[in-house]
Amino acid sequence: MMNAAIQTRIAQLQIVKAKVLAALRKGENYELKTELNSEYKERRKEAVRRVIANMTVGKDVSGLFTDVLKNMHTDDLESKKLIYLYLINYAKTQPDLVILAINTFVKDAEDSNPLIRALAIRTMGCLQVQEVLDYLCDPLRKCLSDSNPYVRKTAVLCVAKVYDLNRGIADENGFVEAVRNALGDVNMMVVSNAMSALAEMNSMGGDVWRLEPQIVSRFLTAVNECVEWGQIAILEALIEYEPRDEKEAENICERLLPRLQHANGSVVLTTVRLLLKYERYVKRADLLAQFAKKMVPPLITLLSSEPEIQFVALRNINIILQRRPRLLSKEIRVFFCKYNDPIYVKYEKVEVLVRICSERNSEPLLNELKEYAKEVDVDFVSCAVNAIGRLAIRFEAAAERAIAVLEELVQMKVDYCVQTCVVVLCDILRRYPGRFEAVVTTLCEHADYINAPEARAAYLWALGEYSENIPSVASLLGAAVDSLLEEEDACVQLALVNACVKYFLKQPQRAQALVLRALQTASEKCANPDVRDRAYIYWRLLSADPSAARTVVLAEKPPVRPENSSLPEPLLEELVNELGCVSSVLQQPARQFVYARAERAGVPRGDAATTADYGTQAAVDTTPGADAAEGEPELLISF
Amino acid sequence: MVLDSLFILNDAGAPIMQKHWGTDLSMQRATRVVIPAFSRYLTSHTDITPIWPGPLSTTCMHIQRGDLTYTAVVSTEVAPLEILELLESISTLLYEYTGQVATELTIKENFVCVYQLLSEMIDSGRVVTTDTSVLRGLVPVPSLMGRVIENVSGFSTNTLANSTASHDAPWRARNIRHTSNQFFVDIVDRIDAIIDTTGTCVSYDILGDITCKSRLSGMPHLVMTLNRARELDDVAFHPCVVRRTWDAERTIAFVPPDGPFKLASYHMATQALSRSMPLRVLGEARCTENGMTVCVTVEPGETGSRSVENIRIRVPLDSRAYNIGVQCKSGTHMVTTSRRPQVEWTLDEIRPSDSAIRLVIQYSTRNAVQSDSTNAAFVTFEVPGYSVSSIKVDALRLLRESYKLFKGVRYSTVAGSFQVRF
Repeated sequence: MMNAAIQTRIAQLQIVKAKVLAALRKGENYELKTELNSEYKERRKEAVRRVIANMTVGKDVSGLFTDVLKNMHTDDLESKKLIYLYLINYAKTQPDLVILAINTFVKDAEDSNPLIRALAIRTMGCLQVQEVLDYLCDPLRKCLSDSNPYVRKTAVLCVAKVYDLNRGIADENGFVEAVRNALGDVNMMVVSNAMSALAEMNSMGGDVWRLEPQIVSRFLTAVNECVEWGQIAILEALIEYEPRDEKEAENICERLLPRLQHANGSVVLTTVRLLLKYERYVKRADLLAQFAKKMVPPLITLLSSEPEIQFVALRNINIILQRRPRLLSKEIRVFFCKYNDPIYVKYEKVEVLVRICSERNSEPLLNELKEYAKEVDVDFVSCAVNAIGRLAIRFEAAAERAIAVLEELVQMKVDYCVQTCVVVLCDILRRYPGRFEAVVTTLCEHADYINAPEARAAYLWALGEYSENIPSVASLLGAAVDSLLEEEDACVQLALVNACVKYFLKQPQRAQALVLRALQTASEKCANPDVRDRAYIYWRLLSADPSAARTVVLAEKPPVRPENSSLPEPLLEELVNELGCVSSVLQQPARQFVYARAERAGVPRGDAATTADYGTQAAVDTTPGADAAEGEPELLISF
Repeated sequence: MVLDSLFILNDAGAPIMQKHWGTDLSMQRATRVVIPAFSRYLTSHTDITPIWPGPLSTTCMHIQRGDLTYTAVVSTEVAPLEILELLESISTLLYEYTGQVATELTIKENFVCVYQLLSEMIDSGRVVTTDTSVLRGLVPVPSLMGRVIENVSGFSTNTLANSTASHDAPWRARNIRHTSNQFFVDIVDRIDAIIDTTGTCVSYDILGDITCKSRLSGMPHLVMTLNRARELDDVAFHPCVVRRTWDAERTIAFVPPDGPFKLASYHMATQALSRSMPLRVLGEARCTENGMTVCVTVEPGETGSRSVENIRIRVPLDSRAYNIGVQCKSGTHMVTTSRRPQVEWTLDEIRPSDSAIRLVIQYSTRNAVQSDSTNAAFVTFEVPGYSVSSIKVDALRLLRESYKLFKGVRYSTVAGSFQVRF
């Protein structure tokens, strides 16, 4: 009895709860619905605002479509704009209902206020609904020949949207032709927007337009009078253009040189891209030299803008420098890092610094890198130390100074800095065999600070390699053998075994006990199979034929070669053509990250066959690897 | 289509404003996959690269200004600088429209205006214009007065039948009238420098801006002549400047927009620099038994007998510093002992005759400090009336209008990114 009563009560409560929840859920939209249908103008206007406010933060307000539509016929410009925004967002979900709005659109397209005419045309284009197109044609035709340039500009851009939706309609009604004619408009804003519209239609796969030689000179004039965004559109069209002869190419470049001095970094970079592209047409050396000279100051000015812009500029400068290595060699100081630069800017600056460094200015750069190595950011410190190593390996004259700097850094006894220094020092030693052995003594003095596996391996290698110069080598290696099993990393254990064997082969009498102990521990107690195997091999080798062991272990090894940090030529060529674009920033060809392009070109994404021809992407690998040997070819991008 | 979507994220990484130009698919992709992934990445890392390859073959580009992150999502090969410049101009526009650095609150309050601006600036994913004066003609600036009128009468004040975007000098309306015709020029030189422990300049650069404030009637044509025009290395002008005259005669000819605007920005050629310093600052750090002593010395430099004003020196300290003691004879100082301890030293004025002033900071740290890790003090100052580049306006002539023009020119030198290593 009692139980049954309680159960009914619970059931009732659950129904109530469900109702309340449903009411809460529809709450705001329901309220907005009533407000939108209010008889007072202000309340309706406020409701429209709230609907848009919800839309901006990503809430779904598509349920209010008909109610919003009812408010469309208003004299208030702001409400009208907001309702149009709403329609653009939700028209695709309710294509049948959009037809209800057509009348107002058509009427607005003939309004006396040019802003409203433009607004109506723009919105109708953005709706992306096939049904609207039939009604759009007449107003669009009128607006294309409107007296107001703002309306004409909007209409021209609208044609591209129509073309995207239905090419037939755009062609039949002569809209594409009208846009081509708009290139001759008196207003530069219309001209540049017509240019963007045509470029966009071209990129949709239609071959609607190409820059004809007759109108090139018109654009060269137009470019001076456009706003920056229009200038970019014109510059991009000129980049695609193939000049008829050398004279024309020279003329285009000279006329566009003033674009380098623009406040907008994008205009500057697009102009640089054009100049580099036109290098293949211009043959006169004096002109090319002049262009190069003019490129420098604007590129440098980019480095005093916001860090985000600096980053893009630096990535592109890195590519430009691979084409013209001497371009910025006088401006090395501009690339010095500021203490508060974001880390991504610092990395790129160091990268550029290493690239533009020459034998002559290596000394100030090494001093500067030393300052960076004293900073507190662990990753940046190792980046700076690696840069020192790369300079030393590249320039023989810089090696001595680099070794001194690294020694100084080791003596500062900063834990994380010492690790990288040791690795880098050993690389330099291998680059110049038999020249800087003295530095090993410093390493031995600071052995306590060397604890990262990679650094310990490098240090043990140095002990074995230069054992004849180190008086205390026996005790150092002995201590290392005692703690052999405590080493976590196999690379350290292997390095230790190697070092002991080398020491033994160089000084058999003194090292006999040590090498026996090392091999015994490694082969019997070590958990790592690689280490055990290596120990066995050495053991057999030494017991069978010590002189053979000598030729194997102490064989002359090729010195480390300067690493090649340049991009492979075909990739570089592609990136120079796309200078200033995403691909040049990511340093990957566009087809690897742009889905549409990959499809159109028929390239399955991530296909090894297409990427393998670029080989290893050297620029990504900033650390001078322990081995200078070529790495495995790998995909440039992983999905 | 250049731009798929644009988002403004708050400091927690949640979108507070979004607008889409692409297809339905690209909109769903951006809102459901790309932005959630990006905002996770954004909130879990510091200093992330502005160009981020996102999921599903998209790329996110962003800038952070104040608490907000302006993010663009693109899926084609585009020029990142174009997008970054666009985002930058959106953030400056919002500042100009609301009169303060945009925050989550100002965006929410003015979303109607922001939304209208975005749809005028970008059409079908392409940037159309970012010019303030053009946009002011298209989207009215939200004003308190306008809102009051609207609420009381129910009528909207914004009826912009004659927009400025419709004639050949789009930056200037046709029928401007002022009772007194004035034109002010401000030339500000900015010194960017890094100074090392010995007091020598590691890098030194002078950048400058010529900003103007125009209150002129009609359609005035102005011609400005500068004295060292040929030594300017890289000059960028406001679109109103006629480029041809500059190239031929090195004079600046223009029809000014009404109100304040930036006429030009320049960069001094490296060979023309004298490397003079209006203020000499030297930093020095010494290890003591269980801490550090940092000494900052300031003395007047070459300022053409002007005083250096509003000097602020920020010295960041080791993150483990405690027990921070500061000694200095003049100025005020403020010690911050939070996660990032620092000392901020403010001096109102240093006259050319003043002798060197020292600030000594002593602090202890829990563990041994590295003896000479690099650190830097950030210095800002201004020298009104002194121009380090010695650029002067030689003449400013008014053509095509007959009224008398009142003109004023002001020079000053400020510290841009001025760092002293110690």
